[in-house]
Amino acid sequence: MNCNGVAADGENGGVLASHAQPEKLIIDTDPGIDDSMAIFMAFQNPGLEVLGLTTIFGNVTTEDATRNALLLCEIARRPDVPVAKGSPEPLKGGEPRIADFIHGSDGLGNLFLPSPKSKKSEKSAAEFLVDKVSEYPGEVSILALGPLTNIALAIKRDSSFAKKLKRLVILGGAFFALGNVNPAAEANIYGDPEAADIVFTSGANIDVVGINITTQVMFTDADLLDLRQSNGKHTKILCDMCKFYRDWHVKSDGVYGIFLHDPVSFVALVRPDLFTFKKGVVRVETQGICIGHTLMDQGLKKWNSSNPWSDYPPVSVACTVNVDEVVSYIKNILLTP
Amino acid sequence: MSAIDPNNNNKEKKKIIIDTDPGIDDTMAIFVALRSPEVEVIGLTTIFGNVYTTLATRNALHLLENAGRTDIPVAEGSHVTITAIQLDPAFAKNVGQIVVLGGAFFVNGNVNPAAEANIFGDPDAADIVFTSGADVLAVGINVTHQVILTDADRAVLASSNGKFAQYLCKVLEVYFSYHRDSYSMGGVYLHDPTALLAAVNPSLVTYTEGVVRVQTSGISRGLTILYNKQKRFGEVTEWSDKPTVKVAVTVDAPAVIKTVMERLMES
Repeated sequence: MNCNGVAADGENGGVLASHAQPEKLIIDTDPGIDDSMAIFMAFQNPGLEVLGLTTIFGNVTTEDATRNALLLCEIARRPDVPVAKGSPEPLKGGEPRIADFIHGSDGLGNLFLPSPKSKKSEKSAAEFLVDKVSEYPGEVSILALGPLTNIALAIKRDSSFAKKLKRLVILGGAFFALGNVNPAAEANIYGDPEAADIVFTSGANIDVVGINITTQVMFTDADLLDLRQSNGKHTKILCDMCKFYRDWHVKSDGVYGIFLHDPVSFVALVRPDLFTFKKGVVRVETQGICIGHTLMDQGLKKWNSSNPWSDYPPVSVACTVNVDEVVSYIKNILLTP
Repeated sequence: MSAIDPNNNNKEKKKIIIDTDPGIDDTMAIFVALRSPEVEVIGLTTIFGNVYTTLATRNALHLLENAGRTDIPVAEGSHVTITAIQLDPAFAKNVGQIVVLGGAFFVNGNVNPAAEANIFGDPDAADIVFTSGADVLAVGINVTHQVILTDADRAVLASSNGKFAQYLCKVLEVYFSYHRDSYSMGGVYLHDPTALLAAVNPSLVTYTEGVVRVQTSGISRGLTILYNKQKRFGEVTEWSDKPTVKVAVTVDAPAVIKTVMERLMES
């Protein structure tokens, strides 16, 4: 994306900027192989207090995402972290699109791990989100790694939710670039276009990281080998999961390695200084052949009449990324014993 | 837009039909075409867009009178290309090349953030043309926005005694003031002249090939999405198995400006 014009500054700061209280974070997720990486990274970060995981369909069904989230908490020895199950379907209803051909039928690279012992929260994801954000107004950040159904439901449930949220970092969309479901749409937004449009226009403090950014950042086969040969805390299981994921990348993109979509979004949360952002209104197409397309008004033209982008609050869209720094940041965390 | 007759060879001039909604930059393009030795303008067809069709037709006739070329026929259209494709299924194959000024590829539109004006005017027609199988070259605003006629260029035109230059300078101020207000710039985009010259001399642009589809409903009605097959998709998409078109990606802007200026200043 062309980054001319007014760039959003680093006003959000990193959540690690201060040494005071850890920052409160909820991860809305559809684990998912790269989700697993991001979740482990969050748990390993002493500057963060993970209040909970909320689950959504996408890489797997919401049912399986919930099981996987519980499993990941157990593997990370954090079974105390609540997991709240999210919506099984997009806002408009119907069967959700599931990308099991990318993440394996279990969502974790067909490792078919034993069932978790811990139980999910009594609350729904939207309830959990609203309750936590109301409990700590202005303090909670959300990292949204899947379709935005739960976040939209929280916004609908509590009209002050968007304002009370500290920050919402979204992995989704393809800005001035090809999608990954089809040429027009990226998978997370395509999964629930109505929800995404509600969230983007909600007035929340939003940073969005599209696949135009995340597909610049990858682990090569050599990086994966480094991880496998390390004694990083979770590198063994992550490398086992990654086999299936890596083979799909070879087939689909001719890439010998893996894109780090979710870990990159996590880095945007904790190290926004490694990205540049541009502010503009983002809307999502909800019909026709381009359903799920994310379109940002870059603000290069003064429109002479109102249009569907007029008068909505802007969001920050990532437009460049410091690839080397982000890769080494992710790698360093994962290599930590 | 211009269509090029296939029955030409290197010795003969390319025959072109200009489908137009004149329009200030259209006018400039028509004048440049009339002064281009490489091509023979065999007709103008009119379409709504900048102005209503009846006015577009009147403007076209007026232009040709001014240029002393009343021999060139003007046909009033609804949308000539789409009608042509629908009236004659062989049209797409018989036409030499269709150069379309339209679309915004991987950039914001100019009617709204999603859509470029010519495609927004009739998205259904545009989708039919792009998927017709004809040899189409699309020149979008991602390319034409690189071709800017500056205030200084306008002063040069004004000081020449070329008939077309003089005529244009009378109407250009409206176009300059629109660009000042909307884009805060001291120049104007040469959309139509760029597309015309791409038809006249294809070496002025480079292009990629891919499938172009047009969104025909919703908030992004008129959005043009190009799929240049760099990536494979796991699922069948609306872009699968459709004929490809050429989409301009770069332009030799200084050469376009120079050619436009020269040809307008010849008297």
